[in-house]
Amino acid sequence: MERREVSFRIYRYNPQVDRHPFYDNFKVAVEKGITILRVLNHIKEHLEPRLTFRAFCQAGICGSCAVRVNGISRLACTTQVWDVLTGSGDDPILVEPLNNLEVIRDLLVDVDPLMEKLKQNSSWVAPAIPEQQMGCKEHIVSETELEVIDSATDCILCGSCYSECSMMGVNRRYISPPVLLKAFRMNNDTRDTIGAERLQQVTADHGLWDCTHCYRCVEHCTKKIAIMEGIHRLREEALERRMTKSEGARHAQAFFDDIHDSGRLKEVTLPLRTKGVAGSLGMIPLAMKMGLKGRTPPLFMKKIPDIKHVRELYRKLEIRAVVKRHAVRQTERLQ
Amino acid sequence: MKYAYFLSCINESMTRELDRSLEILEKDLGIELVKLTRGTCCGGSNLDYVSPDHFLVINGRNIALAEQMKLDLVTSCNTCLLTLRRARQILDSSPEKREFVNNTLRDEGLCYSGSSDVKHLLWVITEDYGLGRLAGLVTTPLTGMRFAPFYGCHILRPSNLLGKDNPATPMSLDHLVETLGGIPVEYASKNKCCGFHTLLVAEKESLALSGNAIEDAIRAEADYIVTPCPLCHTAMDAYQPMTLKGRAVSRTIPVLHLSQLIGLALGHSREELGIDRHMIT
Ligand code: SF4
Ligand code: SF4
Ligand code: FES
Repeated sequence: MERREVSFRIYRYNPQVDRHPFYDNFKVAVEKGITILRVLNHIKEHLEPRLTFRAFCQAGICGSCAVRVNGISRLACTTQVWDVLTGSGDDPILVEPLNNLEVIRDLLVDVDPLMEKLKQNSSWVAPAIPEQQMGCKEHIVSETELEVIDSATDCILCGSCYSECSMMGVNRRYISPPVLLKAFRMNNDTRDTIGAERLQQVTADHGLWDCTHCYRCVEHCTKKIAIMEGIHRLREEALERRMTKSEGARHAQAFFDDIHDSGRLKEVTLPLRTKGVAGSLGMIPLAMKMGLKGRTPPLFMKKIPDIKHVRELYRKLEIRAVVKRHAVRQTERLQ
Repeated sequence: MKYAYFLSCINESMTRELDRSLEILEKDLGIELVKLTRGTCCGGSNLDYVSPDHFLVINGRNIALAEQMKLDLVTSCNTCLLTLRRARQILDSSPEKREFVNNTLRDEGLCYSGSSDVKHLLWVITEDYGLGRLAGLVTTPLTGMRFAPFYGCHILRPSNLLGKDNPATPMSLDHLVETLGGIPVEYASKNKCCGFHTLLVAEKESLALSGNAIEDAIRAEADYIVTPCPLCHTAMDAYQPMTLKGRAVSRTIPVLHLSQLIGLALGHSREELGIDRHMIT
């Protein structure tokens, strides 16, 4: 069995006693295959009984053990020491608490804000079956219906994406990726009945439209869930439900319209169309400065040579959409 | 070496100097970039949820235009890169969607088959052209100049669609800076988000994102930030005075496009490369 001595540099902080966080170094002899969680347990048992962290299932199921290893949020119980060795294997492995949540002690963070956001955004199925009939009546979900949300149901609320999220880093009130993922999962559950209401909650300030598309959540999801698909589908649903008053919705619509009109994005009026007249006033000084440098977008974007083909595509897709909507209405009527 | 070159809307309007300096490089490097004039806006990260069908057809068409020329498609915008590659992956993995797109495109005589790759300019330079060859062309090495490489999100993540650099520790742009004789500085923000996509929706937060990265680069004593993405460039250059407001930094920092960085090392002047058109010079 391969075995080596590895250094660990672990974040320590007890806000009630320590003025500042600090780091403790431990050397541990580790066998290949050993996880970060096993090392933390070893340190607690044999070297530093005060070291505080959270863990339960040890199998990547409960979601309680997420920490940052060498700066990246991961599950301590499924991350093997061998896989995170850097340099020639001699660099210490850095273990720190998740970002964007308050530290209670050492690696333990307070997840209440995440739980609070889940509550605010109705992150549960509100079924059609009345309370008194629960357990007496079945609501069957077909395999194809499940497929849509299957991967989203894998979320174990470990908080890794919450910790990695760019928007969370600059606004703690941001709805956050796991809450958006749950909203997608609930809104596409055929048993659920409060989709419209939930979408109202999700699109409130600091919500759905504030995601910057940085894909950090997707990249670092411990369950490899395509979170962005969920975010996109929620935005699509918001537009379908004609919730087009928000800046994000108007911004998106502009791209759609401009490709039809000229093939190109009309950047010059994009702020106006996104933020409205009042909202754009604040941008005038910047626009003027950019004008002096010749950086203002042209007033009219020249149409691409084949614009008639592009418009023809739009026409075909519009017919297709009408036919689709009709078919949906027909099946609804039959049901 | 010959490629189809995707025209990004921002390079047709606000960051025109990017393509201008690239035209100069084409001659130096002997790379031919045939402009995809019939192509349209990729829809940014927006079209997909306004209408997934339009997103697929529009970008299937963009790639099909390159296929018709029997060329790989190159873009110098990170978001165009991701958008086109996303469409490509969906079309390659679903025969039904491919059939739908091709039925829609038929009247224009276009067909998507998946034969053209979609690449970023940075990849073309570092991989297809090669840093060794590029080193041989350097006439004015950027000796002693310190550069903070800012990669931008959509050339790194999601790595399953992009997958050249490790998103946690990207190096390709660092290596390019070294090849040109400059010093790449290490700083925490090199793989972070510039906030561009929410500038018109959540301005305060977006400015905080780009401000953090700019401040980080200044603290690492970089002389320049260099980025392969015109959207990152806009967030960090045009908006820099706004992002630095209220921050304890002693100076501003100019931001270069990838094409300008190479142009400088190949002996072209700041005027030729349009560097004086930037807001921070
Ligand atoms: S893509 Fe959106 S939700 Fe995900 S990490 Fe980035 S800002 Fe947060
Ligand atoms: S989406 Fe992924 S990373 Fe985020 S909480 Fe769920 S399992 Fe963890
Ligand atoms: S201890 Fe349960 S997921 Fe790690």
